[in-house]
Amino acid sequence: MTRLARLALCIALCTAACVSRPAAAGMTYSESPVLAEAVDKGTLPRLAERLPEIPSVAPFVRKNQVVGRHGGTLNILMARPKDVRLMVVYGYARLLRYDHRLDLVPDILRKVEIEKGRIFTLHLRPGHRWSDGAPFTAEDFRYYWEDVANSPELTPTGPPDMLRVEGELPIFEVIDPHTVRYSWHKPNPAFLPSLAKARPPFIYRPAHYLKQFHAAYSDIAALRDKAKKRGYRSWAPLHNRMDNLYKNDNPALPTLQPWINTIKPPADRFVFERNPYFHRVDPDGRQLPYIDRVVMDVVDKKIVPAKTGTGGSDLQARYLRFDNFTFLRKNGKRLGFDVNLWRIGKGAHMALYPNLNVKDEGWRALLRDVRFRRALSLAVHRREINRVMYFGQAIEGQNTVLPNSPLFDSAYQKAWADFDLDKANALLDDMGLTDRNSRGIRRMPDGRSIEIVVETAGESTEESDVLQLVHDSWLRAGIKLHIKPSHRDVLRNRIYAGQTVMALSSGLENGLATPESSPRELAPTRQRQYQWPSWGQYTETAGQAGIAPDMPVARKLLDLLGDWRNATTRLGQAHAWRAMLSLYTDQVFTIGLIAGTLQPVVVGKRVRNVPEQGLYTWNPGAHFGIYEPDTFWLEPPEQVTEDRRR
Amino acid sequence: MLGYIGRRVLIMVPTLLAISLIVFTIIQLPPGDYFTSYMNELETRGETVDPDKIAFLKAQYGFDRPLYQQYLLWVTGMLRGDFGYSFEYDLPVRDVVGDRLLLTFIVSFATILFTWMLAFPIGVYTAVRQYSFGDYGLTFIGFIGLATPNFLLALVLQYFAYVWFGTSIGGLMDPEYVDQPWSWAKAMSVLEHLWIPVLVIGTSGTAGMIRRLRANLLDELDKQYVITARAKGMPPLRALIKYPLRVALNPFIADIGNLLPQIISGAAIVSVVLSLPTTGPMLLRALQSQDMYLAGSFLMFLATLTVIGTLLSDLALAALDPRIRFGRTEAS
Amino acid sequence: MSDDRLPHYVNPAPYRPGMAETLTPAQERVFLASQWTLIWWKFRRHKLAVISGAFLLLLYLSTLIAEVIAPYDLHARHTDYLFAPPQPVHLFHDGDFVGPFVYGMTVNLDLDNMRWVYAEDKTQVQPLRFFCTEGDYPGATYSFWTLFEGDFHLVCPAPGGQMFLLGTDRLGRDMLSRIIYGARISLTVGLLGITISLLLGMLFGGLAGYFGGWVDGCVQRMIEIIRSFPELPLWMALSAIMPVTWGPVAVYIGITVILGLLDWPGLARAVRSKLLALREEDFCLAAQLMGAKPRRIITRHLLPSFSSHLIASATLSIPSMILAETALSFLGLGLRPPITSWGVLLNEAQNINVVALYPWLMLPVVPVILVVLAFQFLGDGLRDAADPYN
Repeated sequence: MTRLARLALCIALCTAACVSRPAAAGMTYSESPVLAEAVDKGTLPRLAERLPEIPSVAPFVRKNQVVGRHGGTLNILMARPKDVRLMVVYGYARLLRYDHRLDLVPDILRKVEIEKGRIFTLHLRPGHRWSDGAPFTAEDFRYYWEDVANSPELTPTGPPDMLRVEGELPIFEVIDPHTVRYSWHKPNPAFLPSLAKARPPFIYRPAHYLKQFHAAYSDIAALRDKAKKRGYRSWAPLHNRMDNLYKNDNPALPTLQPWINTIKPPADRFVFERNPYFHRVDPDGRQLPYIDRVVMDVVDKKIVPAKTGTGGSDLQARYLRFDNFTFLRKNGKRLGFDVNLWRIGKGAHMALYPNLNVKDEGWRALLRDVRFRRALSLAVHRREINRVMYFGQAIEGQNTVLPNSPLFDSAYQKAWADFDLDKANALLDDMGLTDRNSRGIRRMPDGRSIEIVVETAGESTEESDVLQLVHDSWLRAGIKLHIKPSHRDVLRNRIYAGQTVMALSSGLENGLATPESSPRELAPTRQRQYQWPSWGQYTETAGQAGIAPDMPVARKLLDLLGDWRNATTRLGQAHAWRAMLSLYTDQVFTIGLIAGTLQPVVVGKRVRNVPEQGLYTWNPGAHFGIYEPDTFWLEPPEQVTEDRRR
Repeated sequence: MLGYIGRRVLIMVPTLLAISLIVFTIIQLPPGDYFTSYMNELETRGETVDPDKIAFLKAQYGFDRPLYQQYLLWVTGMLRGDFGYSFEYDLPVRDVVGDRLLLTFIVSFATILFTWMLAFPIGVYTAVRQYSFGDYGLTFIGFIGLATPNFLLALVLQYFAYVWFGTSIGGLMDPEYVDQPWSWAKAMSVLEHLWIPVLVIGTSGTAGMIRRLRANLLDELDKQYVITARAKGMPPLRALIKYPLRVALNPFIADIGNLLPQIISGAAIVSVVLSLPTTGPMLLRALQSQDMYLAGSFLMFLATLTVIGTLLSDLALAALDPRIRFGRTEAS
Repeated sequence: MSDDRLPHYVNPAPYRPGMAETLTPAQERVFLASQWTLIWWKFRRHKLAVISGAFLLLLYLSTLIAEVIAPYDLHARHTDYLFAPPQPVHLFHDGDFVGPFVYGMTVNLDLDNMRWVYAEDKTQVQPLRFFCTEGDYPGATYSFWTLFEGDFHLVCPAPGGQMFLLGTDRLGRDMLSRIIYGARISLTVGLLGITISLLLGMLFGGLAGYFGGWVDGCVQRMIEIIRSFPELPLWMALSAIMPVTWGPVAVYIGITVILGLLDWPGLARAVRSKLLALREEDFCLAAQLMGAKPRRIITRHLLPSFSSHLIASATLSIPSMILAETALSFLGLGLRPPITSWGVLLNEAQNINVVALYPWLMLPVVPVILVVLAFQFLGDGLRDAADPYN
């Protein structure tokens, strides 16, 4: 990384931290009444002893984000006990986090120093404590690195991918109790962004708590008994069971998140209490989160919309679908809750994946002809799909980045995406596919009629509905479509085996890409990519399996991906990104059908600070995470309703 | 009698073994396994899981062993009271099922009670007043209950219970009582929610019961002894209850054992729609997500209960009706 | 074989049946009527059963010509009419008799609620057409049993008009047409399933009843084992065996086989117990005494008298099969679109949106209820009539 790039990132990283320091100096802090009670009783240390010396000050720069008040209970709904993990996603306390503009900013960390893109020095906040009051220090990083990630018993697969650069592991150093350093020999652009993921690799663990389950720190015989008693074969599974910062299913495990799970699964109702040691405060010095307690009821997936619609949830997006909007809106007007619509941040909500590695030679030749893919794309009536399924509210276009991404260009979106049957037919005629059967379906050069079987994972009726529409417009280009719903794993295996001609799935995971995020989804890098599974497998296994990409344009994409990796400037990265997006959409490697569909977000009558418009994405975004749920607050209930409840 | 009991109990052993084999086949049949399906589900929502980790987990839970070994481990485990591990809940099966059983029994018991309370008088009435207007009318209503798909009825009732009575949607009680100890208010809340599943599951069973009771009773009523009793001036009610009704009930006693699986089945779908915290939805989900030990042990538990129930009802019948002890099994 | 005959006395004097008493023609008719005639006479008295039978017969016949009865083709979409409510049929316009007609609809998009709003346009009178062959509206042409193309319909909308008597679904497909086409699948699932179940039931029940002993014991155990499972997991497991790569027809057949496979124990029990009971009947003994061979006894005496019972119990099992299909489809394990069955239609209707906003999508439940009821009454009537000598 050049000095320029370093500067750019550092500015981004520093703004929050640098701004917060002067503000923090003269700040007086205040806390929730429930905690103040505990302090008065002497069961909890005073607030000053619980906050880090320099707490993170929430910037409150989002539109309509206002300083709130402490207290209240937030009800949410989930569909399975495993969903307790989503409170870690929503809570979104990360070493670094994306803010609402998708910039990386320090959060748990005070600051990050980067040298040449390969040496990362992480500075913790002195005085920061785990939710049980124990100090959060460099020891917790060391414990993870030495005793968890590199323990063959606990992690037989070794440290996660983001800690490897071309297989090389970092040199880990503890500089002082509040500073750690990771260094590689080559740049590791994936390191910092992955720390801000919805599901981050927790590179720190509560060492003080976990050591009691670790063979290196406890009496091995006693530990074996403990494991036996709980039904585990050895200490390692027991340790792994207790150590789940993400799964969030061990109430005894200390955490850094804004809310702590207090209920041990299995249960149908989980209660999350505020973390008295949480490291963030609002601009007026009130310790966050505002909301004292979150109650999560586990009900069946199918009744979440009904229950939400009858006021059963104060903040709900998961398990609500776009077609629930009408119902929710109708009830919302009566019961007083809002239903906002957030954009879903995938490159495409649905896209067709022509399998360029299909076994059948006739089909392969056809699908590899760019004219064929372009014709298919031109013969999709996206306007109609949008109107019929999404009331015209979605984005019609290719599978590419969305307008909210800094890399967006309408040329990518519009590439071969108009509904133009004449052009489509002309392209097909140009290919020589002029011979038609008795029903007007074109024939392939080998005489078979062009009847494309599109396979889906069969998870929603929405998919077959959309394909129904595509079927009708393709027919007018002389191409017949058959829908074949199956199961996701069956579908995947058939694709890997080259049996599937075309599949329907969602588009690019990250439709909000920034130049720093990896563009590898656009090049054959993974077997999971339905349009070129064998090429992807080839890259993934470093040539051990699969087929080397044998189309020049595919190799070109790989070259461009290499350019991105080696780019040392944000500009260089953006340049590589744009070249890839342009090539990818012009070649129509995937036929995007519809993008930017809307996610209903129900916001309870009393809930404040939830943005009216937002992006609903997993990564980057953590669903609600980037909008700082710790700053959501509840308006006091009217006295009347309070009385009636009693 | 003792010999009969002995024979019946001995027969249970091969039956249970055969059942355990079937159960194991059932949970092994679907392609893939829990971890693959879980990984798939996460991926649809944008999360990713390290495939190496999946392989590690599979090895840890013995998925890499041959099938017969997995079967033997499971069966011998159950004999020792170890029902295996639930992947979905990350807990031993024993701990998962525990607290749902009570509510399942409440729902099942209420349903059986409801069915009997409804079917019994109607069955007797339709038999005594055969071909009357009431006979047709009540039969018709019973059949309507049978003919309506349960899941739809449950969905509609639940919505209108909310619209009309403000009953919270889903569950067996208002959410605020879920983790509370039992209290009067909690019991009332349960009652407020209980009637929908009881009504829906119950009505689908009453029609069959009404018809059978009616047919049995009609057979009995035509018999000589009833006519004699009537001719001798026995009050009609007494002439009905004293013997014919008792005899007509025999097949029902024989059927108690089979009630359980039927109700669990019927209740499962309804419970899914209503999101009841009973074992039915858990079983369904376990089957769907291939949480195999949870599903398997639970099925085994149900089947065992049924086999024991059948045994008990056979014994009860044998005690009531000496003919049965000597080889003549009851034909329903 | 002749050695097996029981030694008994036979009066050598000539015997003339008419000697003892003379029969009126009416009596003669009754006494000489065959068993099936008697069953028919008895069945005929059960009015509800007769009506149900006729209703079912009509329905089954209609599935043969679903294309003609349905106003629209199964896959015809009307994207201008999404979630359109049912159009009522009127007879009078402005006080004048016009014959059956519907009013045209105006469509507006309510963006605030994301909902299509429909209103009757009283100025547009669209008389229904009968026996139309014009094929001049979208969705008019169909391919009859995929054999030939046609456009003849019993009823169809006015030129340029619509006729959604039961409303449309989310893709603007006519619900009435979908229900009519769905009958084809849903009604035959029961029949095919019951055939399989009947065959299995007769086989196992017959074996158990005829041979007795250890065969009987084995069959009894098998029945007990199957019955001790909740049927739901069994369905789920069996439908999981079906490869997802199967085409629609194979899945359909697979589902019916599954339903049949799990239904036979009840029938087997009925066969077995009936067989045991009938063997003890006087007419059987009489036949034996008169020297009839076992084969003659079974085919001539036993089979006819219990086949009627069998048909009755089979009829009574069909409803549970039809309901089972809907339940399986509800769980997403049964048939799936693009196959259209009532179960599939109901599966699409089972969410809160439909209950609260588009209740007409639940209408497929009406034919389900009617058919199940009809089968019940028919079965009841058959059961009562099955034993005509009683």
